[in-house]
Amino acid sequence: MKKRRNLVIIALIFTLGAYFGYNYMYQDHRDIKTEEAFKSVSAADLVTVFKANASPEELNKTIEVTGVVTEIDGNAITIDNAVQCSFDAAVSGISVNDKVTVKGRCIGYDDLFEIVKFDQSNLIK
Amino acid sequence: MKKFILTILCVVSVSFTLSAQQKYSTKTGVINFEASVPSFEEVKAKNENVSAILKDDGTFASLALMKGFRFKVALMEEHFNENYAESSKYPKTTFRGKIKDFDVSQLSEVEKTFTVSGTVNMHGTDKEIEVPVSIKKDGEALVLTTNFILKPSDFNIEIPKVVSSKIAEEINVSASYRLN
Repeated sequence: MKKRRNLVIIALIFTLGAYFGYNYMYQDHRDIKTEEAFKSVSAADLVTVFKANASPEELNKTIEVTGVVTEIDGNAITIDNAVQCSFDAAVSGISVNDKVTVKGRCIGYDDLFEIVKFDQSNLIK
Repeated sequence: MKKFILTILCVVSVSFTLSAQQKYSTKTGVINFEASVPSFEEVKAKNENVSAILKDDGTFASLALMKGFRFKVALMEEHFNENYAESSKYPKTTFRGKIKDFDVSQLSEVEKTFTVSGTVNMHGTDKEIEVPVSIKKDGEALVLTTNFILKPSDFNIEIPKVVSSKIAEEINVSASYRLN
């Protein structure tokens, strides 16, 4: 009887371990869309921050950026020639000169074009 | 008549200066890399926001933000950023170099292979490379593709023994740019 109980306990521990192990290994990606924005800034201000410091606290954070659309290129838009926001799908319903607010993950500063880049962007308004 | 000639001269000189500084660029180039080992979880990532500029004298520069590499497995992406690429400390990887014998006027819809040589800077470390690159014309755009191998050890990236059997020593990199 005791032996059987031990077996059950061992099986239970093993199952729990496998369950948590699997969940750790295959945890979900961050969901930028539902994450609360760390900061809300203008496109120009964000570039200024990155020009002063290559890895400021904004790096890898979810940020909301506001400005006027200056370029649309496939899945990406550029705001105020300063922040490029890449969406997961082709951009629709946005045109050049629209004033927009976009939430996305800030992935860093591109000094070839002197722009800050976002990925996993979502249009807020 | 004099005015006419003057206008023609102006147009010609303007177009001359334009062609002298012809630049092709993109902010949405794609870089894939794979370091998978058979029978283990695939180690593969993609960055679709790579910048590149090509000048008509063959000077080529490209910049990829390390945080922009996306993996299928979230934990792998975290380990890549925190343990290997150290992307908070070294946020970008750049390439600066020159395409040998590059001449825009020789390009056509048919792919032509050139050699590009230059310096990759990743993880704060420089490495000279020389790799083949294919270029073709697609309308007004230039489509540039390349495949090559990089070794983490060349960039001071240490793979711990525990996982070294699951990550290939040679990393296959492929890049493609549509330059406008």
